[in-house]
Amino acid sequence: MSGAMARRRLLALGGGLALTGGLAACSSPLASGLTGSQPDTADVIFWNLFTGGDGANMVVMEDRFKKTHPGTSVEATVLAWGNPYYTKLALATASGTPPDVGIAHLSRLPLLAASGLLEPIEQAGLGELGVTADKFTPAAWRKATVDGTVYAVPLDTHPFVLYYNVDLARRAGLLDSGGDGLVPLKGAQDFLAAVKAMKTAGGAQYGAVMSITADPSTAWRYFSMIYSGLAGPVVTDSGTRIDLDGEAGQETIAFMQRLTGTGLMPGNLNGSGANALFSTGKAGFLFDGEWQIPSYRQVKGLRFDVVPFPALLGPEPVAYADSHALVVPRNEARSRARTRNAALFIRSLLDNSAVWAEGGHIPAWLPTQRSKAFLDQSPQRHYVRAAFNAQYDPAAWYTGAGSDFQSVVGGTIIEALAGRLTPKGAVPTLRSDLKRFTTARPPVTMK
Amino acid sequence: MTTITQPRPTAAKGAPAAVGAKLFNRLCAVCLTLFALIWLVPFFWAIATSLRSDGSITQKPTSPFAGGWSLRAYSYAWDTYPIGTWYLNSLVISALAVIFTVAFCSMAGFALAFLRYRGRAAVLALAAAGLMLPSEALVLPQFIEYRSFHLLGTFWALILPSVAAPIAVFVFQSFFRGIPVALIEAARIDGASWWRIYARVCMPLCRPALSTVAILTFITTWNSFLWPLLVLSQTKSQTVPVGLASLLSNTNIQYAEVMASSVLGFLPLIAVFLVFQRQIVQGVATTGIK
Amino acid sequence: MTTVVPTRPAPTASAAGVPTGRPPRSERRAGVLLTAPFLVIYLVFLVGPLLVGVVLSFFNTTTVKSGLGEWVGLSNYAEVVTDPQFWDAMWHSVLFTLLTTPPLVVLALAGAILASRVRRGRVFYRLAFFAPYVVPSSVVALIFLWMYTPEIGLVPKVLGAVGLPVPDFLGSTSGGWTAVTLMTLWWTFGFNFVLYTAAIQDVPPDVYEAAAIDGAGPWQQIRHITVPLLGRTTSLVLILQILASLKVFDQIYLLLAGGPDQSTRPVIEYIYDTGFTSYRGGYGAAATIVYFVVIVAVSAAWYGLRRRATGTAA
Repeated sequence: MSGAMARRRLLALGGGLALTGGLAACSSPLASGLTGSQPDTADVIFWNLFTGGDGANMVVMEDRFKKTHPGTSVEATVLAWGNPYYTKLALATASGTPPDVGIAHLSRLPLLAASGLLEPIEQAGLGELGVTADKFTPAAWRKATVDGTVYAVPLDTHPFVLYYNVDLARRAGLLDSGGDGLVPLKGAQDFLAAVKAMKTAGGAQYGAVMSITADPSTAWRYFSMIYSGLAGPVVTDSGTRIDLDGEAGQETIAFMQRLTGTGLMPGNLNGSGANALFSTGKAGFLFDGEWQIPSYRQVKGLRFDVVPFPALLGPEPVAYADSHALVVPRNEARSRARTRNAALFIRSLLDNSAVWAEGGHIPAWLPTQRSKAFLDQSPQRHYVRAAFNAQYDPAAWYTGAGSDFQSVVGGTIIEALAGRLTPKGAVPTLRSDLKRFTTARPPVTMK
Repeated sequence: MTTITQPRPTAAKGAPAAVGAKLFNRLCAVCLTLFALIWLVPFFWAIATSLRSDGSITQKPTSPFAGGWSLRAYSYAWDTYPIGTWYLNSLVISALAVIFTVAFCSMAGFALAFLRYRGRAAVLALAAAGLMLPSEALVLPQFIEYRSFHLLGTFWALILPSVAAPIAVFVFQSFFRGIPVALIEAARIDGASWWRIYARVCMPLCRPALSTVAILTFITTWNSFLWPLLVLSQTKSQTVPVGLASLLSNTNIQYAEVMASSVLGFLPLIAVFLVFQRQIVQGVATTGIK
Repeated sequence: MTTVVPTRPAPTASAAGVPTGRPPRSERRAGVLLTAPFLVIYLVFLVGPLLVGVVLSFFNTTTVKSGLGEWVGLSNYAEVVTDPQFWDAMWHSVLFTLLTTPPLVVLALAGAILASRVRRGRVFYRLAFFAPYVVPSSVVALIFLWMYTPEIGLVPKVLGAVGLPVPDFLGSTSGGWTAVTLMTLWWTFGFNFVLYTAAIQDVPPDVYEAAAIDGAGPWQQIRHITVPLLGRTTSLVLILQILASLKVFDQIYLLLAGGPDQSTRPVIEYIYDTGFTSYRGGYGAAATIVYFVVIVAVSAAWYGLRRRATGTAA
């Protein structure tokens, strides 16, 4: 390290010679560009990938932090969602100029953590601020733990959920006696009957819709949820071994095709098509992530509610989910004061996560999850249970939100949903999809 | 040259041919002008869009005069994105790259042109081989090498690779070759050191080569994209091209703001280009043709 | 930027008047000292990465972690050459070259010939054609992305107005290639245009005058004088174009991100995806070296051909 410091001083000298001293001194990003030091354009540099409604909520939460910590400045940068974001986060950390706090999906955590890019949250001083295991949804906390060390602070759980049109459900006789919830559904038969009732008794054009065409992530979430009721992760040993249960796979796809193959649900529909059908009351159920709630709220005349999926093919209900989490990217040169600011910022975001829940997300921070500010939010409070049944992507270096893995495997599911692959034919295709990833050499060894 | 041909009678054949040629030339001018106008459309379209409001753009996308004009998008873009900082970064990086490239490559070009020393042939061969080296393809090993030197995240990571430009050495070398040897010898006899001959005799004589190398280095450094994207990740330490690339998104509906940022991204360059257009074009032509 | 300069054999009597034999010590020392700064940077930062790449390709290096990782022998190479996606990406780079090179060469030649016939407005043409070249790729992509926007972009509107089918520029593979090709044409046309213009200006005017006297019309002058004299320039433009196109990354990454479904992903983006997004440094290095060998083979072939051509001509 001392060699590096000496070299940096040398470079700084060169920069000072080449530039007028005043220029280097007055503009700190410039100076840090020449010396390679950590740029300190603000006390907390925060990277996230939120636009739209989530982006606006995040700004509100940042502003609340600024209000309660007047002396601490925050510089928030919004980056392109998915691979570009994670690539940049990793390269910035490897370059020694990472942000102080970043957002990461928990499904992406295994690779980030195993590559040594993240500070364990204990070392970031979050434990002292009361950020401890007992205050989080257990499933999220478990997923934030890699190899026995906790590397991320879960902010939320965002499950794949079941939307239903309240008016159609009433007509179909699917509302419970109180009239404000869905009748309990148990197992695949109940569920199929409910979808059918939406179409026949409810008078909807389709019993259910979901975004399928050109949307492999949604297809993967759907498959993963149903399949996980029957079997464990499709890949194991950190993603080096295919563990696809052929029978469970066939059963899952056969179940999916009982909806799409019978006209209960369209087999090729894109996102805006699904949106249009559900918004105009032409579909009884919508299968999608809860993050769509804000956009459906704006639809005039649409009364809808959201519940977790019931148990379909297994004995227990499963919710496919992911979580947004806060991470502190590793930086040897970060001062104690900056680390402290980062921890305070994270704690403040947790405390204000009721704002975040307005985007449909279930707060992972139990004090918020049990607070009135959250429990007043509907339909958010109706699917909190999903956070406790959360099933994440299998732990591997290539899985996670926006990954190639999701688009490749999801692509095969799309083919099956569209009826171009039989349940029997889909399993070998899935197996060869998985093989593409399991046979590639992992960049890091994970336990 | 015209004086030789003028007196010759071109007779009956010449007159209609000349008229035809004139007509032909006029036709060429029309075609080319049309062509050039089409080429300018993207610039004008960006400027026109940037001056409108997003509402009128979505309603009447192709009638640029609907909905009035305003500079609001510019103030928004300037306030939202640290464009000024990006410009400063790009300027410092490109200027340092130019200074070091001109200094080091001209020194090497001078030595290769006039001096006999051990390893001269090897240096020539190495540099010539470097002309074929597609350095853009080597970003991955480059990244890992720079990481181990702790150069990532610094401007030096962008400056150093552009200094390693064999083409610049050859431009200088071939230019120095054109300097009469007698001049050098006279200076030697006067007792001037080689350094003095380089700095005081040869460099002042090679303005054109200097401007060629400087301009081309500046443009390539300013416009490079992939390497700065990988190396400089902090928002405020980015260069103009990488910073503006973060505005790219299919779902962005703030057309006026995005176009205002693009205009801020190209207008200064176009202005600089207008000032130096002769040198820039000459530079491209000489390095390409030689 | 690749550019070509003839490498004449070093003249032994560079300082012609100096007697041959051992040069004085001061000269040798000056030579070494003056070359050293460039040479050091060149070796470390241009040759260095190549060697580093060769070494890395034998290891399972993690891009974002220090250290080489474990030795894996040739297995990275085995994986690269058997990965259909790598060859798809190679093909996309070649396809891009095939799509852009012919129009860029032909149009630039045509434009330069037209320009040679026009006396006035040189600066205007220069501005129109060459200005895009000095604009960064991301700005070009921003402008074109807006012009390609479905429903409200300029290009779909214009195509629709004249009754042409509007391709899905950003959502389909063929539309994506069209979008990238048009944008590249606009962006880099000026470079070839300038090379051709300069070459045409090098043709001595008396050649044309002599031809005019012999009664050759402008069309004949172009066909029989200008075009044949531009053979050398064309070969240069071609190789510069091919080498630059094989290195394509910016336009495709910025406009399409290699999509839809990686169907336009060029090889540099493949290296970017495996090496940086997936941290597979060693594997990415192996892909780099395989790709690198192809590029060097292309340029070496061109140098060889050119040498032979000039050799027979001389």
